[in-house]
Amino acid sequence: MASRAELSNFLAEVERRAYKQALFAVRDEDAALDIVQDSMMRLAEKYSDKPLDELPLLFQRILQNAIRDYYRRSRTRSEHFTSLSAFEGDDENPGDPLELIEIDDEINPFAAPHAALLQTETLSIVEEALQNLPPRQREAFLLRYWEGLDIAETAAAMGCTEGSVKTHCSRATHTLAAALEAKGIRP
Amino acid sequence: MSREEQFARQICHVLDRGTEKLDHGIAERLRAARERALQRQHAFVPSLAIVGAGETALLGGDDEKHPLRTALAILALLLGVAISYYWNGLSQADENEAIDSALLADNLPPTAYLDKGFQAWLEKQAAPAGE
Repeated sequence: MASRAELSNFLAEVERRAYKQALFAVRDEDAALDIVQDSMMRLAEKYSDKPLDELPLLFQRILQNAIRDYYRRSRTRSEHFTSLSAFEGDDENPGDPLELIEIDDEINPFAAPHAALLQTETLSIVEEALQNLPPRQREAFLLRYWEGLDIAETAAAMGCTEGSVKTHCSRATHTLAAALEAKGIRP
Repeated sequence: MSREEQFARQICHVLDRGTEKLDHGIAERLRAARERALQRQHAFVPSLAIVGAGETALLGGDDEKHPLRTALAILALLLGVAISYYWNGLSQADENEAIDSALLADNLPPTAYLDKGFQAWLEKQAAPAGE
């Protein structure tokens, strides 16, 4: 069971990344803060009796569910006010337009050295590119690489198969590389 | 490490720099949110701690860390046993008192219930008329 100090340290370590994850997803500072706060409270209330090493995955599951709940609520609200979404194609899975993304095979994003990424203005370009990723690609990329979960853990947090995680991660990486290259940054 | 992973790590390195440069107001609100979450844990833990203290005392475990808590748990247990014993005694006394009152208030003297002839007469009266 995690002590109060251990839980505090864990939350302090993950809170900024959690906020950024939520912000990339919902693009609203207040909503992102609410999502992080709800996730922290849920973890502290329901799972603080769990061992410390189980907390990262539990927290990510709670956070991703909170983000999905926000999408769901936003979607319900927008459907209440407008019926335009009915003309926007696949209504069953609006949050996962993975199949719509086409990567130009002519672009080889890994061809050059990585020095350009160190430039200061790169941050905003990278964050913008991440925001523009399809939600499931962004989720897989951030959980797998930024949070350092392995493929099985990422699949558990996302509620999908390990194969889907690999596909989402690969496509996210290529999409990001292409987006950076389009901005003149060769990764 | 594949090129794809190398690129992903570099992206994450850039993102880490972004979290370090987080706006002070946002960082403060996150800290406050963390404190609120920890208070929820604080409210949850003590109820378990008392159970733990009792267990520790009974099993003779490591009670040096919380001697006061252990003593309180034992005291509470003893108090509970004493109250329960006293309460049971009180209920039994009430019951006996009610029986005594009924016997004394009856028209029959208590010795009538010891008379065999009277018992036989009662059984005869209680039997159905046809038998």
